[in-house]
Amino acid sequence: MNKITEAVPFLAPVQILILSVIVIPSLYVVWLSLHASSFGQSATFVGLDNYIKVLTDPAFLLALGNTVLIVIFAVHLELALGLGMALLFASGLPCRRILLVAVLAPYAVSEVIAVAMWRFLFDPDVGPVTAALTWLGLPMLDWSFEPSHALIMIGLLTIWLHLPFTFIILYAARLAIPKDLYEAARIDGAKPFDAFRRVTMPLLGPAIVVALLFRYIFAFRIFSEVWLMTQGGPARSTEVVAVYLYQEAFSFNAFGTAAATAWIMVLASLLLATGYVFLLRKQVAGNAH
Amino acid sequence: MRTDKIAIGLGKTVAVLVILAWSLFPIAFIVMSSFKPGQDIFAVPPKFVFSPTVQHYVELWNGWGVFFSGLLNSTIITAGATIIAITSSTAAGYVYSRYSSRMLNASVMFLIIVRLIPPIVVTLPLFPIVNAIGLNDTHIVLMVLYATFFVSLGTVLMRTFIDQIPRELDEAAQIDGAGRLTILRRVIVPLAAPGILAVAVFVVVFAWNEFLFAFIFTATRAKTAPLVISEMIGSIDGVDWGVLFAASTVQLIPVLLFVIFMNRYLVAGLTAGATKG
Repeated sequence: MNKITEAVPFLAPVQILILSVIVIPSLYVVWLSLHASSFGQSATFVGLDNYIKVLTDPAFLLALGNTVLIVIFAVHLELALGLGMALLFASGLPCRRILLVAVLAPYAVSEVIAVAMWRFLFDPDVGPVTAALTWLGLPMLDWSFEPSHALIMIGLLTIWLHLPFTFIILYAARLAIPKDLYEAARIDGAKPFDAFRRVTMPLLGPAIVVALLFRYIFAFRIFSEVWLMTQGGPARSTEVVAVYLYQEAFSFNAFGTAAATAWIMVLASLLLATGYVFLLRKQVAGNAH
Repeated sequence: MRTDKIAIGLGKTVAVLVILAWSLFPIAFIVMSSFKPGQDIFAVPPKFVFSPTVQHYVELWNGWGVFFSGLLNSTIITAGATIIAITSSTAAGYVYSRYSSRMLNASVMFLIIVRLIPPIVVTLPLFPIVNAIGLNDTHIVLMVLYATFFVSLGTVLMRTFIDQIPRELDEAAQIDGAGRLTILRRVIVPLAAPGILAVAVFVVVFAWNEFLFAFIFTATRAKTAPLVISEMIGSIDGVDWGVLFAASTVQLIPVLLFVIFMNRYLVAGLTAGATKG
């Protein structure tokens, strides 16, 4: 292409959509977060009051704690499982394509249906998983009363829904490692575990960072699974940050604090992303030397 | 040495079976239970042999007309969102692939940063605006929202795929007198079809299954199938599991088949999407 002006009509749809639906509304949320307002009232400027209110609200801190717990528990377990599966697949399996498709299947499932499944499978009275747990002499998950059990259920559900993503990223990265490297390691007398530690892990590093970054950012937004499973209850004990935001805005009409919560979410995502990009750069630079 | 190999083989087989059970059991369970006669659904241990019945589908058809209008709404919204997303991403991806300038590089960075904004954030200002302009509970709102949250990934993906098409083809077409739009339509689109399909898989799966936006922006007329199913889960007179499983099966099977058929494009898209943007 010769002139940049020629390109404008091609770029316009994407840029207009993003600006009008995401960027401008998000900036307006900044304005909202600095004002006290609710539906149909005129706003007054209150500075950072909304942020202080949110950050000192025990309900928010509990929601933040729950979110962090789910993110840490679910994302890391998911990473370990995804990595194990990627290595298993890479070690050579028969009917690999069919197995791969089977592993991808949960990607197609809506959060709503996944919650329906989980609620039935873990139902305290009739759930088959509950029955199996009881039969094995294990405690059942009393998720409708016990907040920690509900969080475990939600964590498992999140892992089930997103494992295909983590697995594919790691598996693709593992397949991209040249076979020669393993051959060379073998000739140098490396045991399989040494090859894993010296070849696989360092070369998978960037993919692991990418998978973690994406999953941290997306798991931090978790809403539907929690909302559909417990609605944040009993007594707001299983709320996560997005559910807190929703409640502030749409149940309590407190748009100012909801907006402050929204920007806390955005800033947390940015912080996670920059932290990881920084680490990744350092790692890439380190490998180059 | 031989026993080692047998042990490894056995370990692998067990691992594969566990993975298959983990991935497929919940799905198979729902589909199977939707055909179980009333009491068999609750049998402990679960029954795997039963006389199948379509009774729950009949109840669904007779009692939940709203579910079928939800399916229709989901279909319209998914189709609309997919068309908006793939046309706009392909056009933008073409420019990002063929041009390079400081402004454009900066705007790619911008596309990536935009993905960091959680969707729930924009509901705060958009909810009152959508209401004010009378677009609440319409198909178009969800089409635009779903498309927009995928055009940044879509554009980056399309750029990656179009980068693999030799520029010489553009130039040859240009010498033959083709304009930009013609080159895009006749040269780029056919060769970038795998990329377009990859973007389509993402948008279709997302739009067909999405809950949050549908929950906030629709009430009756544009209500999507997942929203109707969520109402079945939350029903106060107790959940009618048979009907819920039937509805879930109807909602799930088309998108599951779609993902199975498109698995190559999904894998290509996930891989390119994670490494490039």
